[in-house]
Amino acid sequence: MQNSSRLALYHYWVAFAAFLPAMVLGAWQMLMRSPLPAPLDDSNAYYTSVTLHGTAMAYVVTTFFAMGFGYAVTATSLRRPVRGVTAAWIGFVICLIGTVMAAVIVLSGRATVLYTFYPPLLGSAWYYFGVLLLVGGSMIWVALMIYNMAAWKRDNPGQPVPLPMFAITATALLWAWAASGVILELLGVVLPRVLGLTTQIDAALGRTLFSVTLHAIVYFWLMPAYIAFYTLVPQAAGGRLYSDTMGRLTFIMFLVFSLPVGMHHLFADPEHGAGVKFLQSFLTFFVALPTLLTVFSICASLEIAGRARGGRGLLGWIAALPWKEPMVLAVALSLVMLGFGGFGGLINMSYAMNSMIHNTSWVTAHFHLIFGGAVVIMYFAIAYEMWPRITGKPLRSKALARWQLWLWFAGMMIATIPWHLTGLMGQPRRVAIFDYNDPFVARMGPLVIISVIGGMILLVSAILLIVILVRSQLGEKHLATPLRYALAVNPPRYVPASLNGFAMWNAILVVLMVVAYGYPIGQFFILKSSVSAYEVTRQSIGAGVR
Amino acid sequence: MVRDQGAFKLHNPWPRIGWGTAAAIIVISFVLGFPVLGRYRPNDPPLDLWSAICRGLGITSDTRPAAESRPALRTPTQIAWTSSTLDQIAAGDTQHGGFIGMNCSACHGQGGVSPSSLIPTIAGMDPAAIYKQLDDYRSGKRLWGVMGAMAKALSAQDSADVAAYFAAQPGGLPTLSGNRVPESGRSLRQADPARRLVFAGDPQRGVPPCSACHGPGGFKLGAPALQGQHSAYIERQLGAFAQGMRQNDIFGQMRAIAKQLTADEMQVLAAYYGTRASAPEPGGVASR
Repeated sequence: MQNSSRLALYHYWVAFAAFLPAMVLGAWQMLMRSPLPAPLDDSNAYYTSVTLHGTAMAYVVTTFFAMGFGYAVTATSLRRPVRGVTAAWIGFVICLIGTVMAAVIVLSGRATVLYTFYPPLLGSAWYYFGVLLLVGGSMIWVALMIYNMAAWKRDNPGQPVPLPMFAITATALLWAWAASGVILELLGVVLPRVLGLTTQIDAALGRTLFSVTLHAIVYFWLMPAYIAFYTLVPQAAGGRLYSDTMGRLTFIMFLVFSLPVGMHHLFADPEHGAGVKFLQSFLTFFVALPTLLTVFSICASLEIAGRARGGRGLLGWIAALPWKEPMVLAVALSLVMLGFGGFGGLINMSYAMNSMIHNTSWVTAHFHLIFGGAVVIMYFAIAYEMWPRITGKPLRSKALARWQLWLWFAGMMIATIPWHLTGLMGQPRRVAIFDYNDPFVARMGPLVIISVIGGMILLVSAILLIVILVRSQLGEKHLATPLRYALAVNPPRYVPASLNGFAMWNAILVVLMVVAYGYPIGQFFILKSSVSAYEVTRQSIGAGVR
Repeated sequence: MVRDQGAFKLHNPWPRIGWGTAAAIIVISFVLGFPVLGRYRPNDPPLDLWSAICRGLGITSDTRPAAESRPALRTPTQIAWTSSTLDQIAAGDTQHGGFIGMNCSACHGQGGVSPSSLIPTIAGMDPAAIYKQLDDYRSGKRLWGVMGAMAKALSAQDSADVAAYFAAQPGGLPTLSGNRVPESGRSLRQADPARRLVFAGDPQRGVPPCSACHGPGGFKLGAPALQGQHSAYIERQLGAFAQGMRQNDIFGQMRAIAKQLTADEMQVLAAYYGTRASAPEPGGVASR
């Protein structure tokens, strides 16, 4: 158990160590694109910074956090040490090397390709190798999660897999499916060109493959938050989970529906037909189902807890909840942000409405609100819950933790609501410098400044997070109570095989993926290419790199 | 309570739910996306079933990238300052030119000094400038009924000859030397707007100084001297350039400049160049 704990802790350290500098970059970027003066006023530096911020937040923080969380959940929910710890450490080191490689290359200005690295943008091969190592290294974690769940099932035949373990395995499977897109894109499209094996690059194929990753990766980020919703929140609130089956269904639906939907990122792309886009748009609507199920489940669980604590009346149970617990506060703030972000998301995924906001700041604001807000605030709460139990060193002050969560919530709302509005006004995303003297842009100025204020509050909150964790780490060791997961109102004694494993759901997913992506990817090989491939003549890497 | 032990056995409830839902979603989304919604287009009649399915897959009769539009090539003039052109102009025969020039004197005055304010003086004008305008009239690049008819009657050699003849006539425009004129008041702070535009231009509007090409003190091949030209004629030509009615300036520079000038500025510029003929500044211009 000791080794599993250290494993989780090291992953958390890397995640939060990458988090703080990426926050500073994010705050600087907000300043840079605002009418306010920014230090180092240089648009090249802006795009380098966006690349680093995106790579750190989207790949490094999330992957390391999910891996650490996965090891911790495996050890605590199965109540036995993680199997394959050596492999886990090897995976950790591979991911770390990949991270350092990518970061160094981006910092040296040789891979300013944004974290989506859409071709025909090309950077140094080392950047792509770094991302490959990071993503590939995390596949060891995927394998270990599956292996640990399978081993436990073999040792406990007929027993229901604990919900946390079931959910983290769903997360691992989801990540394996999601990563397949970016891995294929890098190996099949980008790297051959970057290494000089081809002269052309099929940007449309690259974008299509990346779309397989691009939406599912968001759910990979989301999953630890949802696992906390189902297994940690009811416990922290002093109640029970409303329904174990509902939890299993939620994670199954995330696995099945978050993958064949990525094309809603390509609604404006010419390489796909309207029918294929509609099909994936239609499938995307089903992703809302597990979220709605979860909101219902969590509210019901919180009501059970509130009533158990003596809350009466229609809404009295809300006041009776233990709001001093960071986890309970975080889930409430998270659900508010999830609500706003979710409505924005419904607009993004609707084929027709998407054209209003496609490629505007609306999209950036949306994913900051839903990921940076609703999900990351749960990462904080998970850290506050798990850190003391792993290290045996409790938080010095829960009040400070609550301050940090409130600041994060306030900062995120202040930053993203005006950001959405400027998107509606037509402000494009991924632009370093706006001419605020232009009358069209000038009216966005005040909103962007409000957004910057929100960004600064977020930075303060992020610094506070590190302060809280470091203070806990430097504190005295107490005997920590072991992590306990919420019990369901009716704990499962028997679970149907379909809800105790993923074989059938993976089979269904294969069918859905073939339906959704078979033709869109196949067309590039049948019809050669739906749009002509770009001839990329710019030599973007030095001879030494090859 | 042994039920649902096989995840793939369809008589078990969850496999039925899973596969059934997936199949329903696929069927509904296909039917909606391809044959139903795929038929309708915003401004055109609905497609037939087969075309709707092809459209849904992104296969249309035109899947190639859109061709770049190619606007028709329009050149402001057919003149190019090649050495052969310049040689031909330089070899102009003034005697033959004088003979042809008798056709011109009815409008442009005896010896090319025009009595009419809307008809330019051509005596002393650079032969290349005259040659170019005649060629533009002939090819329809500069439009004026009388001059078009006159020019069409001339060959290229005739144009060179008549240009040489009028260039040699006295009493008209000064010869441009390209020598810099030492003159005070060339700065942007000059109060008189005409002098400011003539000698310093207006960099903020992208207007170069007029004198850089038209003198005094500057000379560009093909640009006529303006000192001594009729004010009304200059003003009318600036207006024609500004409105795009005259388009035979090779790089569009006169159209670009004239568009930036206000009506008042055109007037004072025309007046400045026009009055300089009667009262040249002492020591100002190198006179012929």
